[in-house]
Amino acid sequence: MNPTVEPQKPDLQGRKVLIVDDDRLNLRILARILKPEGLIIEQVYSGEDAILQYAAFLPDLVLLDVVMPGISGFETCRTLKARYGDDLAPIIFITAKADAEDVVEGLAAGGVDYLPKPFRGREAMARLRVHLQNRMLNEEQKKLVTQLSSANTAKNKLLGMVAHDLRNPLATVRGLAEFLKDDGKEGKLTADQIDLVENIYTVSQSMLEMVNELLDLSVIESGELKIHPKPVSLADVLERSVTLNNINAAKKGSHIELKSVDLPAQLNIDGPKIKQVVDNLITNAIKFSPPNSAVTVEASQTPQDCTVAVLDNGPGIPENEMHKLFKDFSQTSVAPTAGEKSTGLGLAICRKIIEAHGGTIRADNRAGGGCTFMFSIPLPA
Amino acid sequence: MKFNGKVLLTDDEAHIRKFLGLVLKRLGSPVIIEAANGQEAVALYAQHSPDLVLMDVNMPVLDGVQALTQIRKIDPEALVIMLTSLTNRQTVEQCASLGALDYLRKDLPRDEMIAQLTQIIGECFGPEDAATTKPATAP
Repeated sequence: MNPTVEPQKPDLQGRKVLIVDDDRLNLRILARILKPEGLIIEQVYSGEDAILQYAAFLPDLVLLDVVMPGISGFETCRTLKARYGDDLAPIIFITAKADAEDVVEGLAAGGVDYLPKPFRGREAMARLRVHLQNRMLNEEQKKLVTQLSSANTAKNKLLGMVAHDLRNPLATVRGLAEFLKDDGKEGKLTADQIDLVENIYTVSQSMLEMVNELLDLSVIESGELKIHPKPVSLADVLERSVTLNNINAAKKGSHIELKSVDLPAQLNIDGPKIKQVVDNLITNAIKFSPPNSAVTVEASQTPQDCTVAVLDNGPGIPENEMHKLFKDFSQTSVAPTAGEKSTGLGLAICRKIIEAHGGTIRADNRAGGGCTFMFSIPLPA
Repeated sequence: MKFNGKVLLTDDEAHIRKFLGLVLKRLGSPVIIEAANGQEAVALYAQHSPDLVLMDVNMPVLDGVQALTQIRKIDPEALVIMLTSLTNRQTVEQCASLGALDYLRKDLPRDEMIAQLTQIIGECFGPEDAATTKPATAP
């Protein structure tokens, strides 16, 4: 091979190889092959010594003879595998010949490859190189995963802290604006001043909703979403949600109708969390439907599960954006119809709550227009 | 309902005391005493023996849970409502076991807050002429 086109070899300098063989001639030959690569070599002469030496030396690769006095190479490999599991360095068996049965047993014992005797320098080194490189890549990936997951934890913590600390002041801003804007008990305001206060109220209200969603997400992300199922009437939950949301819907001239509720008397669910999901679906339906729309909420059951559906009159979801719907911070090209705000978190939170109940959530465009969002919760068998 | 009792309002954040003060005034003409931490609350409780305490949980110097314990030591019949920013189940249960009457989320919209306080106070002091003194069951 022309040396100029040979791919660049990653540096194996300083990687550690444990060679286990009772035949000192083999050891010498292997050492001679490996030394020029800058590998650090440790040699032992039995399986028992290999197990002891492994713990002290912590090699990146083990070359292990199969037939030795005392415990065999396979036995040694099984012991090491049991002790170190997936962290075990790759083990390559040294076999007298490429005996198919030996190879199979060796791989079953946890080895990754075999090296037939007599050794051929280039082949031996090529095989070792592959496994050492894999080992290095694996270690780097593990390190990366650890770093990423701790960065993610830190992000969630920060998100939680920020959201938490913003909540109280925002709630006060909203609350004080409420005192100013409505009944004049705190003093009369002019129409212009009331308009200003209305703005403060609306903005702080929508900020508070966003902060609440962020906080929900940080709680869910940090694995702290715990549902507390209790026997609850889902029909009651729906009724309450529809009644409360009708107040806001009326401001846009829209109406929410609850119909065809066919549900078991009680379900083992986390009532407040499921109400949060229903609230979110209904709010979205109003948000994305034109003013003066009708939104319908339906519930039905099969022997396996019960399903709640919210039908809107919005423009529907473009098919190529359907996959974005239930993901964190994802917004589709569909915009609210009256300048309402959206964080892109609501549906992601809904999905997590429904999944915590063992259920599923999905959205479909209806042929006649509009979109149906529905979730199903399994019934106990 | 008209509530004209004496209320000890404890929160380390002045804006919360301001807001809750306005909320309380919608229930009647209560006398409001303000404390900025648990330690102040305990001292003011001993001094004024209020009819009702609103007590934040997370506060410097002495937190709400410790203050609740100390106030209940001074007066085993003390009526204390914990103020929480999030319904942390554990804290709520702990406070209930230490004798807190109820809890109130500080981030509720004004009208919901008024409704909840009206209900709690109505249950304690009777729905009609809410007391200016302790309920009849108190010693």
